[in-house]
Amino acid sequence: MRVNDLLKDPDFTLINQSDINKEINNVFACDLLSHAMGFAAENDLLITVLNNINVLGVASLLEFSGVVFSHNINVNDAIIKKANELDIPLIRTRLTTAEAVVRVHILGKSN
Amino acid sequence: MSPLKKRTVEPYVREFIIERNDIGNAGTVASLTKRELKNRGFSREFVKQITIGVYEAEINVVIHSYGGKATVEINKEYIEITFKDEGPGIPSIDNAMTEGFSTASKYAIENGFGAGMGLPNIKAVSDEMNLTSSEDGTNLTIRFYVKGNSYAS
Repeated sequence: MRVNDLLKDPDFTLINQSDINKEINNVFACDLLSHAMGFAAENDLLITVLNNINVLGVASLLEFSGVVFSHNINVNDAIIKKANELDIPLIRTRLTTAEAVVRVHILGKSN
Repeated sequence: MSPLKKRTVEPYVREFIIERNDIGNAGTVASLTKRELKNRGFSREFVKQITIGVYEAEINVVIHSYGGKATVEINKEYIEITFKDEGPGIPSIDNAMTEGFSTASKYAIENGFGAGMGLPNIKAVSDEMNLTSSEDGTNLTIRFYVKGNSYAS
């Protein structure tokens, strides 16, 4: 599944300008960056409520396919600007983290 | 990699200053080291392991120390990164090496750090890890040996 397949679901909204053709291999949900560093992998889609610029550092180093902010978390302009520079898709959803994981999993099976 | 493309093999040494609590620039050493390693034709997996180790150690200096420096050395035998900070030191290295144990500040936790996974992650990815600490500072050296499968095929 690619990021643009995820965006066909109205509960997922792209909030920056970036390449949405990136492949999603797996989903990883976490709000602690060292856990993400230790256990996540390339082309994972990170689902988090951590609206912090360091999320982008980890996303860039590990080459995630994108970052989903669950619970309709507000994302500030500095994060959006940095994500545009790093070409990392940022997506917002009203879903909880657990709901978002399940939804991405279901969408992944049909795409 | 194309057989016609020559790998960069010249030794590389670069020093970075790491400022205390400079969360905005945390990850710079890891990011620039990753780029250098990729340019040298190392495999994605090898680069990833090193990147994780460097990032975690860099974050530790940012969130736990009074500031310090990192020295990255790349040669044909190994990649070695040394972190030296100016204190206050790790009270118990045994505790610090335990997964989930953390002394991170509220500031660090608000920024997504403090899972207590930093040093365990570093140990897991590196070939050698040497850690010494006193009130005057902490020295951490991590080394990754270049092996037959360290280069991209």
